[in-house]
Amino acid sequence: MTEYEIAIEVDARGSFCPGPMMELIKMIRQAEVGEHLALLSSDEGTRTDVPAWVKKANHELVEIINLEDHDKYIVKKLH
Amino acid sequence: MKNIVIVGGGFAGISIANKLAKKLRRKDAKVILIEPKEINIYEPQFVFLGFKNTPQSKFIKPMNKVLSGKVNWLRTTALKIDSEKRTIALANGDTLHYDYIVLATGAKMDVESVNAYDDENIHHFYLLDATKKLQEALKNFKGGTIVISPTTVPYKCPPAPAEFTFVLEKFLRQRNLRDKTTIKYLYPLMRPYPEPRVSEKVQKNFDERGIEFGEFFNYETVDKKNSKIISLEGEEIDYDLLVLIPPHKGHKVIIESGLGDREGFVSANKFTLKVNDHENMYAIGDCTNLPISKSGAAAHFASDALIKNLILEIDGKEPTKKYNGFTVCFVVTSFRRSLLLVFSYKYPPRKIGLHNLFLYGLFKKSFKIVYFKALIRGYL
Repeated sequence: MTEYEIAIEVDARGSFCPGPMMELIKMIRQAEVGEHLALLSSDEGTRTDVPAWVKKANHELVEIINLEDHDKYIVKKLH
Repeated sequence: MKNIVIVGGGFAGISIANKLAKKLRRKDAKVILIEPKEINIYEPQFVFLGFKNTPQSKFIKPMNKVLSGKVNWLRTTALKIDSEKRTIALANGDTLHYDYIVLATGAKMDVESVNAYDDENIHHFYLLDATKKLQEALKNFKGGTIVISPTTVPYKCPPAPAEFTFVLEKFLRQRNLRDKTTIKYLYPLMRPYPEPRVSEKVQKNFDERGIEFGEFFNYETVDKKNSKIISLEGEEIDYDLLVLIPPHKGHKVIIESGLGDREGFVSANKFTLKVNDHENMYAIGDCTNLPISKSGAAAHFASDALIKNLILEIDGKEPTKKYNGFTVCFVVTSFRRSLLLVFSYKYPPRKIGLHNLFLYGLFKKSFKIVYFKALIRGYL
């Protein structure tokens, strides 16, 4: 696993779409270029929304960590 | 006697103050509301104001018509809250002590950061003055491209931009301008409405009415000179008239008091409504970063848990009452149609009725009366 430091982490578990997506966009706006962000989501819709948006917005989806009752999305802000 | 101070007198603050004044005995607690404005506005009306003149008396009431006489109303602004000393510095020079404080400051329309609303072709409908400017522009509109887009999320009343678009399309047809006008609806998500099933219906409505949809458009800036709106994702869209939902952020008192997140919204426990890391402090409504819609309905349904928890604390007990995230949302789909959605933390939005004339009638004709006569006064 790549070593990285999480600059901002938002726990959006229990929040339904578009809550987690909105949280990610909010984090992207708040973060500096090059920072890693972590989004915790238990919403299934996030699995399609986040990768699609990260691709369209040209950021990097570093990894999706599948945990017991939620997923952790690590995104790197590229621009 | 305990001093219970509510900061902010919009719907959430007024209704909480009224309910607390009703529940608590005067000898036990003094309920104080800090709010400089002397009126209350029924904001769901804003979505219609760009299209026609509505007498202000229909949707604006003086504070004394909606605030209980048992509430001590301070007509001033809270400048800074010191949560350790439990004091509030006020704009009138006084310092107010509190035993418990409820933050209900709402969301501020950050129009300054957009630096575009002075332009005659750039509008919004989230403040009263802005609806007047928009009304004038739509009255003089002769055709072209109208673009509707939020600047950021979250914003008040998630369906409002789509509602506005539906009503706009109808308005243009009524004025025989529809075939001369392209309507583009740009949205931060990959669908035109947050909830997928409702989104399908919204998309169907857009398709039937020839409204163009642009996915994953997160507003970055506007090029006023060349009439282009530019996204975080790098797209540029031309417009003749732009309806841009302003960014929302927390109010100055929250930011100055160090109580907000990076956008100035208060971090509160989504179940108990207690402000995280601060004692004797609660928050409700649009000023919070709770994962629910920013709407009067959400504040209304959250108020029960807040009040019960505050009273439990006053009685020296643990604040154990939990808000389950339940709220409802009307979505207006035309001048004469609407649908109703229900949500909670545990389940995604469910719809009750689509294109239902009865619901529309309830919303348009009756709900304003319910709002001013019962909801804000704390009777429901």
